[in-house]
Amino acid sequence: MNRLVACQTCGLVQEADEPPPGSVIRCARCHFPVYHRRRHSRERTLAFSLAALLLYFPANLYPVVTAEYQGHHTETTIIQGINSLYLHKQYFISALVFCTSILSPLVKIIGLVFITLTLDWPRWKKSRTWAYQIIRIIDPWNMLEVFLLAIGVSMVEMGEIATVHPGRGVFAFSAVVVLTLLATLSFDSRLIWDASAEKKTYE
Amino acid sequence: MEKSRMGRFLWLIPLGAALLCAWYVGRDFVFAGPTITIYFQNVDGLQEQNSLVQYRGEKIGEVETLTLTPDRQQVAVKAKLDAAAAALARQGSVFWIVRPELKPGSVSGLGTLVSGNYINVQPGNGALTNAFQGAEKEPIEPIQALDILLLVPKLGSLQPRSPVFYRDVQVGEVTACRLSDDARAVLIHARIDDEYAPLVRMNSKFWNAGGLHVHIGLFSGASISAESAQTLISGGIAFATPPDYQSAATNGAEFILNDKSEDAWEKWSPAIALHFVPEAAINKTRVPNLNPK
Repeated sequence: MNRLVACQTCGLVQEADEPPPGSVIRCARCHFPVYHRRRHSRERTLAFSLAALLLYFPANLYPVVTAEYQGHHTETTIIQGINSLYLHKQYFISALVFCTSILSPLVKIIGLVFITLTLDWPRWKKSRTWAYQIIRIIDPWNMLEVFLLAIGVSMVEMGEIATVHPGRGVFAFSAVVVLTLLATLSFDSRLIWDASAEKKTYE
Repeated sequence: MEKSRMGRFLWLIPLGAALLCAWYVGRDFVFAGPTITIYFQNVDGLQEQNSLVQYRGEKIGEVETLTLTPDRQQVAVKAKLDAAAAALARQGSVFWIVRPELKPGSVSGLGTLVSGNYINVQPGNGALTNAFQGAEKEPIEPIQALDILLLVPKLGSLQPRSPVFYRDVQVGEVTACRLSDDARAVLIHARIDDEYAPLVRMNSKFWNAGGLHVHIGLFSGASISAESAQTLISGGIAFATPPDYQSAATNGAEFILNDKSEDAWEKWSPAIALHFVPEAAINKTRVPNLNPK
């Protein structure tokens, strides 16, 4: 079957069949390999997003920063940070941090897990499409990485005034950021509609 | 990469994530130490989730909650101890709050002005338990020592921790002062270190050595002296034992605290055998036994 494929490197749209297993198609213009799908998309996305979902809970429940300042020994989780912003009447910022660092990543991770898990069941295609739309809409609001950067900067800056250490949850938090990123990179959205067309194994 | 090879490595990632989660959970629930409740009359200076429980200067736990008891007479302090320190929560363990103390002659705990008040513990020997009655102040170390009573009409500048001297060497200290039962005199409890206990005999003479001694004579001129800088502030007690000394004093022996010494007493110089453990004999280079029973 002839398929139109856009080269991922130079963008040239060309006709190309599925290559036989073990070989790759090269672009007519730039000669770089052209893949019809992201390789092993389903497995990789499921593995990464599942891991991210598992680690999401310790990342938010355990403190990311511990500080000792003037005799006060404080451990702060992300949720405590948001709560403290709220108590300081910074309603907008606390809502913003909550949406971009707790809600949005969670929706994305759950969405990816849901999509990759249900690929075998054509009945769920509409739900998968909905899930994908939601992910696409909230994607710009995923600011988990920015939050991590902010924590890192404050840890360095405050080091002169107070004694600041990374908390117990910072490894889980960083892992969620990295895993979400990897899951997003591995996910090929065409999977959602592939399964209903015909059953094929993609290399 | 072939599908099967990647597949195997790939599923290590969620597996690793699950193990990490289990470790987080386990560390908090399975490997954590006990939660104990200590009842204090006053928890001024302690903060929930913030104040520490320490032993020998090392953090062994944290205060979790502070709640008034239903009868409103005490405050229940719930503290979570580290697993390694679980053995310290025994019957007979005494917990007290370390606060800064600034009194003339008694300054302690200043570090808490910066670090915050904390709970210190002196472990007991009984069975492991969860509920404790907190002490109001640091317990005096129950070391082997001689406890004696001194009677005096007025307390003067003496207070707990005032030193007791023999020949200008501090051999003990005052532990408590209170009015006698009939309120006609003051009872002073003093403790003499075990090593110096043989010095105290039933006919030893005690006198108040605090403050300045001012001696002005027509021919000898004026002389001003004090036993030590501490006695200027907190007072002190000195004693002497006559050459014809009687039997050794026992715990609870009572003596009169004289206002000042008589010249004769200062000249007494009996030979009394004291037994000291020489510094060299204490083997400080041996590694401690890390597996106590």
